[in-house]
Amino acid sequence: MGKYIIKRLGISLATILVLVTVVFILVRLMPGDPFTSDKMTPEIKANLEKYYGFDKPLIEQYFTYLKNLLKGDLGYSMKYKNQTVNKIIEDSFPFSFDLGIRSLVFGISFGLVFGITAALNRGKKLDFISIVIAIIGTSVPDFIMGALLQYFFGIKWGLFPVAQYLGFKHTILPAIAVGFYTLAQVSRLMRASMLEVVQQDYIKTAKSKGISSFRVTYKHQIRNAIMPVVTVLGPTVAAVLTGTFVIESIFAIPGMGKFYVQSVQNLDYSIVLGMTVFYGAFLVIANMIVDILYGLIDPRIRIAGK
Amino acid sequence: MKNIKKLVSLILVVAMCFSLAACSTPKPAEPEEKETNEPKENEATETGKKIFRYSLTADVPTLDPQLMNSIPSSTVGYHIFDGLMRNHVGEIQYGVAEKYDVSEDGLVYTFHLRDAKWSDGEPITAGDFEYGLQRLADPATASDYAFIITSLIKNADKVNNGELPVEELGVKAIDEKTLQIELQNPTGYFISMLSMPQFCPTRKDLVEKYGQEYSADADKMAYNGPFIVKEWKHEDRLILEKNPNYWNKDAINLDEVHILTVADPMTAVAMYEQGELDQVNVPAEVLENYTDKVSYYFDGANDFMKLNMDGSSELKSKDLRLAVNYALNREDFILLATKNLYQPNTRYILPQVKGVDKDYGEEYPYEAFPVKGDEAKAKEHLQAAMTELGVSDPKEIELELLTTDAERTRTEAEILQNQIQTVLGITVTIRQVPYKQRLQMESDREFEMVVTGWVPDYSDPMTYLELWTTNSPYNHGSYKSEAYDGYVKEGITNTDPKQRMDALFNAEKTLLEDGAIIPLQLRRNAMLLNPKVKGFETYFVGLNYDYMYVDIEQ
Repeated sequence: MGKYIIKRLGISLATILVLVTVVFILVRLMPGDPFTSDKMTPEIKANLEKYYGFDKPLIEQYFTYLKNLLKGDLGYSMKYKNQTVNKIIEDSFPFSFDLGIRSLVFGISFGLVFGITAALNRGKKLDFISIVIAIIGTSVPDFIMGALLQYFFGIKWGLFPVAQYLGFKHTILPAIAVGFYTLAQVSRLMRASMLEVVQQDYIKTAKSKGISSFRVTYKHQIRNAIMPVVTVLGPTVAAVLTGTFVIESIFAIPGMGKFYVQSVQNLDYSIVLGMTVFYGAFLVIANMIVDILYGLIDPRIRIAGK
Repeated sequence: MKNIKKLVSLILVVAMCFSLAACSTPKPAEPEEKETNEPKENEATETGKKIFRYSLTADVPTLDPQLMNSIPSSTVGYHIFDGLMRNHVGEIQYGVAEKYDVSEDGLVYTFHLRDAKWSDGEPITAGDFEYGLQRLADPATASDYAFIITSLIKNADKVNNGELPVEELGVKAIDEKTLQIELQNPTGYFISMLSMPQFCPTRKDLVEKYGQEYSADADKMAYNGPFIVKEWKHEDRLILEKNPNYWNKDAINLDEVHILTVADPMTAVAMYEQGELDQVNVPAEVLENYTDKVSYYFDGANDFMKLNMDGSSELKSKDLRLAVNYALNREDFILLATKNLYQPNTRYILPQVKGVDKDYGEEYPYEAFPVKGDEAKAKEHLQAAMTELGVSDPKEIELELLTTDAERTRTEAEILQNQIQTVLGITVTIRQVPYKQRLQMESDREFEMVVTGWVPDYSDPMTYLELWTTNSPYNHGSYKSEAYDGYVKEGITNTDPKQRMDALFNAEKTLLEDGAIIPLQLRRNAMLLNPKVKGFETYFVGLNYDYMYVDIEQ
């Protein structure tokens, strides 16, 4: 197991290094630069380039960046002039993380319940309802979901605050808006996998042994069916926890997603790079945890990994 | 055995879910605590505090006075710093200076400072002003906004490009309370610029103490304006509080100003409706629901088309440029593009900037092209242009219209394309690129026509006219006119206010008669303001809101 984890760790670090290199090059290939503005003169631009070390050869800038990265220093933002990228992430990530956890708890728990209910009631009314919910969750984009929730529950009926992230009440609407997609995804996966498991011989065996149907469902079916859901959790967790631009905008949440999108528009190289590395590391770690969990749950994978 | 393993792993999965959930608890606890002490709707009156609340679509990028480069940050800067003078929506008031003298040639200004203090109790000295301006000009500071002084203060250009040391800048602290500023040219509007944060005093000791982190947080700087920053939660909220050390604190009524970051303009409107904001701008899409409640103001932004006249495009023909200018029906354009939120513009200079005594537009009324367009004239000029270019079919003239990739700019470009093609029969293609790329292409002169704009930096026609002189770094259209350069030069050197203004008007006329630009629209904002808020003012240069003297009716 230890070997397996070390191997996974090595691959993860290599992935991040490749990611940094690719993004470092790509961001500079984008037309324009961070200092392009409608009132920029060549003299002032030269001062700015010198200040940020852009006058040095690209390869030197790359190694400087890597060196600083090893020290955990992501550099200063070019738009938010006195702020370090570390500080920006430190300030904004907790909000995205908090919202992400809430939406995951919402999405996964309801998704599992819906998926299991649908599978147990295959072809019946409840199954149909869960399909409709899943279709809505998959096909309605989050900005529409967010705007609708905000309009009806916030403005029209006044049940929840329209925006900001100040307390529990403020978190409900955005968490639902973000978590709905996860809910749909999990419920569909769970349903499909439940239906597959139900045809397995061990279920028939369990049933023929006379075990109560509750026990069969609970002990044999769900436990075996949950595997595919764990698989998708890695990327979903990383994506949801690092912030969603649209929902953060709609509900005025000072999270990370907004910075990420705006920094691309602003060509703020430091934030784009810093957040990509952060997000990448997060994704890689989440996937790694899933892989390890997978290995724990299913010995066959562990053996194949050796 | 297998079952036990499965059970263990299942427990692990559940444990992970819960531990992740547990991780989150410390964070919400913080915002939740805040809920209780955060002033909510109407709480302002309950606590007896006078609070004014507005929102920004993005947090202010910096509070470093010399590094400020956006209107929202300069607006905050105006309220947390006090310059030598204050420009209260066009009315010049004394700031840290209690009087000033001007030399006969209009080049040397001597300011006498009052006894005023920084927020930490330190006295404000002439040296603080000297240091602030030196820091602005210093190439090592790399301020985007250094351009504001490079053609204004003596030697500022040479200091900024590294030819001279900062000590050579034409700013001298004669003693603790006397400051002398030497200009390159006699500049009447200089006094009106002194409340811009870039000109404000700066504490050398604090800049040196914090280095690049100076002003990164509320406690990493000092203030000398009507307000100080009480709390700055980046990209969330900026809370200003009345400065007890401000020399004119009796004139300040507000206890606090809350500036919230609300990225979505529709959300901001919803928050205003819920009583969570006191002022909000209404987006054009929903303006019709509020037409009876809003008041309008211009933020100074002036949109026009830049035309490439360097010879590579057919637009080198003056007649073609005029043909396009006459072909446009700007009234229809505004109606279709912004539902009449913006105002059609048929001249170049914002009419609201200061003329000799009154507004420039009032003193020099002018309409270069009829607002509804003139089809006959447009065709006449097109004919002349076709002869000049040796073209027999207007379709052979193909122009590319460059614009940004936003939805609004797409609509604008399509309307313009349609109008030009319908009236003139020439071909117009649209090219959309990201904003930064558009700017880059403008300065690289890789365009034929581009929808662009200008925001004034001071209230004088010169802020617009300096763009189009032959040597201007912003003259991306390669406009070249001796007459124009001559008028602008007179505007710089002539000290007689009336003659000077006449020359500037002649420059504007020359520019438009040459069809060097295609004026389009003046940006107007529709604002909802809490009726209890008194004394809130909007402005169009350097800042957009002035809430220094705002009072809240209880």
